[in-house]
Amino acid sequence: MSHQMNDELLDMYRQMVTIRMVELRLSRLFADGEVPGFIHLSLGQEAVAAGAGSVLRSDDTVASTHRGHGHALSKGIAIDDFFAELMAREEGICRGRGGSMHVANLSLGMLGANAIVGASIPIALGSALAHQLRKTDSVAVAFFGDGAMAEGVFHESLNLAALWQLPLLFLCENNGWAEFSPTHKQFIAPLDKLAAAFDIPHAKADGNDVMAVQSAVAKCVDGIRAGGGPQVLECMTHRWRGHYEGDPQKYRPSEELEGLEDHDPIPRFEAALVEKGIEANVLESIRADVDAAIEAAVEKARAGNSPEWERARNDVYTQVGAV
Amino acid sequence: MSELNDLLMPKLGLTMTEGLLSEWCVSPGDAVSEGDVIFIVETDKVATEVSAQAGGTIGELLVQEGETVSVGAVVARWTGPGQGFTTDQPDEGGAPADGASMSSKEKHAAKSADISESMPEPQGVVSSSVRVVATPLARRLAHEHGVDMVGITGSGPRGRIKAEDVRAVVSRSDQARSAFLEQAAERTPAGGVVQTMARRMVEAKQTVPHFYLATEVEVTELMGLRERLNDNDDAPKLTINHFIIAAVASALRAMPEQNRIWDNGDIVQFQSVDVGVAVSTEKGLMAPVLRDLDSCSLDDIALRATDLVDRTREGQATRDDLQGGAITISNAGMFNVTYMTPIINPPQSAILGIGSVRELFRPATDGTPVLHREMGVVLAGDHRLHDGASGLRFLNRVIELLQDPYRLLRGV
Amino acid sequence: MMFTPRLELFDMAELRYAHAINRALAECMEEDSTVFVFGEDVADAGGPFGVTRGLASRFGEDRIRDTPISEATMANAAVGAALTGLRPVLEIMFMDFMTLTMDAVVNQAAKARYMFGGQTSVPMVVRTPHGGGINAGPQHSQCLEAWFAHIPGLKVLCPSNPADAYGLLKSAITDPDPVIFVENKALYAMKGEVPEEAASIEIGKALQVRKGEDLSIVTYGATVHTVKRAAEILADSGIEADVLDLRSIQPWDESAVLASLRKTHRLLIVHEAVEAFGVGAEIAARMGDIGFDELDAPISRLGAPFVPVPFAPSLEQQYQPGADDIVAAARNLCA
Repeated sequence: MSHQMNDELLDMYRQMVTIRMVELRLSRLFADGEVPGFIHLSLGQEAVAAGAGSVLRSDDTVASTHRGHGHALSKGIAIDDFFAELMAREEGICRGRGGSMHVANLSLGMLGANAIVGASIPIALGSALAHQLRKTDSVAVAFFGDGAMAEGVFHESLNLAALWQLPLLFLCENNGWAEFSPTHKQFIAPLDKLAAAFDIPHAKADGNDVMAVQSAVAKCVDGIRAGGGPQVLECMTHRWRGHYEGDPQKYRPSEELEGLEDHDPIPRFEAALVEKGIEANVLESIRADVDAAIEAAVEKARAGNSPEWERARNDVYTQVGAV
Repeated sequence: MSELNDLLMPKLGLTMTEGLLSEWCVSPGDAVSEGDVIFIVETDKVATEVSAQAGGTIGELLVQEGETVSVGAVVARWTGPGQGFTTDQPDEGGAPADGASMSSKEKHAAKSADISESMPEPQGVVSSSVRVVATPLARRLAHEHGVDMVGITGSGPRGRIKAEDVRAVVSRSDQARSAFLEQAAERTPAGGVVQTMARRMVEAKQTVPHFYLATEVEVTELMGLRERLNDNDDAPKLTINHFIIAAVASALRAMPEQNRIWDNGDIVQFQSVDVGVAVSTEKGLMAPVLRDLDSCSLDDIALRATDLVDRTREGQATRDDLQGGAITISNAGMFNVTYMTPIINPPQSAILGIGSVRELFRPATDGTPVLHREMGVVLAGDHRLHDGASGLRFLNRVIELLQDPYRLLRGV
Repeated sequence: MMFTPRLELFDMAELRYAHAINRALAECMEEDSTVFVFGEDVADAGGPFGVTRGLASRFGEDRIRDTPISEATMANAAVGAALTGLRPVLEIMFMDFMTLTMDAVVNQAAKARYMFGGQTSVPMVVRTPHGGGINAGPQHSQCLEAWFAHIPGLKVLCPSNPADAYGLLKSAITDPDPVIFVENKALYAMKGEVPEEAASIEIGKALQVRKGEDLSIVTYGATVHTVKRAAEILADSGIEADVLDLRSIQPWDESAVLASLRKTHRLLIVHEAVEAFGVGAEIAARMGDIGFDELDAPISRLGAPFVPVPFAPSLEQQYQPGADDIVAAARNLCA
């Protein structure tokens, strides 16, 4: 096993641990009132974001969902910018105007988390259209949950992407729950049949196995980059927390909730890494690094400034001459 | 800052309709406690300190120093209670903080007993409350040109006064005076006090139906008596005016029907004998009032009148000094005038104008000339309360006392 | 006819409204390779009103792109493309179909720049025709511009003539923010001068189309022509109207309206859109505030009644504010 390959795996591990620890920290900050509004955590789903992020290039674009912290972090948003935004600071990546559901970094090709279920799909489609018109080999990724399958724009987008052979990856994180309802009560068709109807290749991956996600995404993206048109990838995973933080999930069977940690993608990846000969203390030190970086980001955000109303009030349109 | 309430221009007396906010004693953000002076109001009569009746924090000041605003207008915002005001006058101490909720019946009672109030009158009580229907532009033009809209007939829908209706009025009066005004060398806007006085005089002359009774008083005896009394260096120096005050007070005591005023359809009967005295000051004419002259000696009148006049000239008169009474004496004797026909000072119902003492010959019963010393007197009365007959009875009583001044030595 | 004009003298400078838009699109695509046009039937068919005719053969079907009948996705795709560096121009065949694009326009396009803290802008244009008069019925005739003017982040334009259509569309395409460009079906055939040297027109500036001293009439779009006819009738009876064509509804030229009101002291706002809660309500409220002391009459509005646009020609004629209605409203104000 080469060092380079090990480094890539450790980067992916670092990413997955970052997403996990950031969200656990957010959960505490939210409980303490330091993160206002509401947040949707992706605890348990880190492998999908980290696996996909490890494949994408900086010129690829992603559009994300309301449960988008992992997508934003894996596309490269700095955790300082991230915490400052969620803690409503002027120094936040969106100057405290977007919050959890709208983190974006356009310079990194992160087109934004989105509070409208399904909206990430046609937005990513437009981005894919831009890649096609500019004749680049960039790929657009639409992250969406299984709940978005029932949105009309998803079906329109499958048609359009296939019709125009757009460089678009439909990446479904199927966690089995559409907000407060189980998917089987929401949508009749399996996603593979839906994709088949539009003649779009469909693949399924274990969304709790980051290496499986990585290789599945890599396979899709390579095909798309080569001009093969859109693909659908369905990553099966689990949502540990409620729809939003604070949701007691009374609607979920207790046996389902109890078994969730068996699917935890992190110990699973750690075991695989150890099997590949990586020392446990290396992983330990990565976790310590991430923890320190998060604490530093939180402290920095705490010391930040509240957004200025005057500036926020007068920024409805692009100022002529402004950058 | 918590929720803000309005601070209003208080009504500092029966006739006050607007006040000149001459000075702010606080700035936005200042915390004030009960009793702290917030601002100073100048009416045509006097400067009054308006103080907080509760604690609070001052918000925005909405009126500039020097601006004249209507009673009840919002002058500032603060965190304290809405409308809870007192002035520095002791007679205001009893006004409840929520004075706005006083019923109109209670208000009426308070009016006759004590004519000062801290709260604005409700709309219906104001006498000139005719609703003028006019466009905003017409109102603005009327204000700019000082045109009273009450007399204008509107040509708009439902009689609405439009700008052109106001312009027509302005143009008519402009034509009349344009030739003269073109030659006028300089134009200065009149100050707040002058404006207020001008407005009050116009109102008095236009709304109070004046009638006049003019005659002469033979004052030979009076002048002789005065000279003899003034020989005594220990006693206060008496002026002709002191005798006139005593005579008017004495006549009022004897004829309570003269000691009344007209107030918006009500007749207010005063119990005490109060007499106003016109005083010329740097700021213009003022009319402080000598109170409770019942049983007052001539010497007391002299002392109190001298003190009151001095204080008024020095600008020290209080609001209390400047209100009350049914009649004022306006003595122009020192200005070399035979008859002085004055304007009643509302809400009073009469004013007595005094001219200079003239020496002239009058024929005696046998036709031989006799030297007289005579003083022209003109009584102006409010015809809503008084008429020629009652006015003459009163005036004759005053004249009798002045012509037989020894009776005044007994006091009022 | 005794006299036959030499046609080429007119053709030199005169263009139809639809052709003026076509020229603006072509020039923008020529000048900027990131500009592309898409919509239902815009390529081969040249659009239902022929606005994009000829562009596909000139610029290729990549940049003049027919789309399926998927308005919601197309509008969201415009947002995605704009966020990825292109300048999309989307055609929505009838303004009534804008209802299907509301998430994209209201939640995405209007918000993206602001909610991302100004990191980016969304340089997209949605062209769409409003207006009745062709018996198209309740779902092909509505004037919904007030909806969009209500949303912070959107600009809303509504040109009344070929020159403005040309100049404003060029401004809209080069503008960094999302623009709803409202055309009018009844105007597509209108001919007007579009000088060769015509350039883009600043967004947010009204145009005085008639001078008068007696009352101000503020309007936009096709109604400008109805108002002009009404103004001539009014002039015959001695009432001279000052007529302003807003051209831009959001932002709107508050200072031009106030300046006119300061001159005439009477204000009538006329539009084809439903009067209730409309553009006229906003202008009236604003002028009632900042222009209160200028008013010598109540501010009046004249728009369509609070009823769907009916199909029957006789009904639709009643529905649209006509010159007679405008004359009556103006006379009322001057009474």
